[in-house]
Amino acid sequence: MNAHAHHAATPKPLLRHRKNVELLRPDQLEALRQAFAQLNKISSNVVTDNRGYQYLAGLHGLPGQYCQHGDPPGSDPLFLPWHRAYLYVFELALRDQAADASLAWWDWTSPASHANGIPQAFDTAQVNGQPNPLAKAPVQPAARQSGRPTETFRSPRAPSSLPSADRIRQILSLRSFSDFTAQLEDVHNRVHGWVGGTMGIIPWAAYDPIFWAHHTNIDRLWRIWQLRHPQRFSDRFLNTALPPFPLTVEQTLNIKPLGYDYASSTTHVPGTHA
Amino acid sequence: MPDRFVSQPLELPAHTAEADFVRADLEFHGVDHSGLSYEARVFLNRLDADLDTPLEPGEDGGYAGSFYIFGHGGCFGDVGHCEVPTTRNPNDKRLPHPLTPHTKTVIVTEEVRRIRDSTDSDQLTVTVVADVYDVGDLPVGRDAAEPLLFDSISLVTYETPPPLPPVSPAEAERPAPEPE
Repeated sequence: MNAHAHHAATPKPLLRHRKNVELLRPDQLEALRQAFAQLNKISSNVVTDNRGYQYLAGLHGLPGQYCQHGDPPGSDPLFLPWHRAYLYVFELALRDQAADASLAWWDWTSPASHANGIPQAFDTAQVNGQPNPLAKAPVQPAARQSGRPTETFRSPRAPSSLPSADRIRQILSLRSFSDFTAQLEDVHNRVHGWVGGTMGIIPWAAYDPIFWAHHTNIDRLWRIWQLRHPQRFSDRFLNTALPPFPLTVEQTLNIKPLGYDYASSTTHVPGTHA
Repeated sequence: MPDRFVSQPLELPAHTAEADFVRADLEFHGVDHSGLSYEARVFLNRLDADLDTPLEPGEDGGYAGSFYIFGHGGCFGDVGHCEVPTTRNPNDKRLPHPLTPHTKTVIVTEEVRRIRDSTDSDQLTVTVVADVYDVGDLPVGRDAAEPLLFDSISLVTYETPPPLPPVSPAEAERPAPEPE
């Protein structure tokens, strides 16, 4: 039995773990690629299919325009809860197509990122002679302006100018949620701009597959901060809906009931029932 | 050419040694984010700062930090689509207009303390330099040569750490449950 078949035959825990893209095993990376490829295939058959990549990517900027950013005066900061709900729905869509797929995070503070920039898994143009579905994606006609863009593209800056681990440590030490979310969103903005191209501007950012790895890292950092800084929130904030997703802010605060957690890596072996 | 902004002088805080500030924030109010994405580099007492100015603090001023704008790239709707309402009915449960201006905060505690301790001046001037990100030929909305638009800057110092829970709309009533 080869290693891939061994992993495929091993029963998995119900809780799925989002992992560091730099530490994904080949079968885990392949599952992620397969899931993205299947979502693309659905959209290429029927672009309005709500299980497809174009529909889901289009919720953030154009044409959906649902994304939440910033701290509007008199309102609550919804950046983190809204994007957690978005990742949740997107990951379920991935797993509908490839049951073993889970989102992976891009730690842009890592030594590898500061040496190489975008992770190889999302940068390699072709895999096994086929286009890598993690490297780029089409942009649906309904999202184009004056006919552009037709597909995602990037214009990354020098890897050394990505955010530092020290900066993230400072942010994780902030004690209040409003402080934390404002500073983390700022770093998030910086990485969008660093990648550039379609990732660098709201209307088309979510079409780039690296968007999901970037936001999974943001969500992970929020999870880490939550474990260190339990907060109390107003009912108004907790009861706020996060359209178009079937979740309120309160339902995003705990990730285990959403069926996932974060781990650097995971591996499994059969137990006595195997 | 990138856009630059030089503020009028802000007064440095007159804290005593016994009750010194533990944190200083530069708050940028009413920041527009309808157009380009950019880094806003913030310099203190460097009136001539530009994109070539080193990102290093100095005894009498220098680079103090940056804030970052993830822009909307223009208006993609009919007339009125991007007009932010100036009033809001309390019964309006819709989420805020996406182009509602932001407040951006740059934490400048060490930089302000260093300037205060090393110079005779009781004033601080803020220079903001925009470094625009490359989005190719995508639409970017209003004039790409002038990305910086905001209402005002405040220098805010705290003698004690900011209150916990924060004084904000997200203030605490009950604990966020933890599943463990």
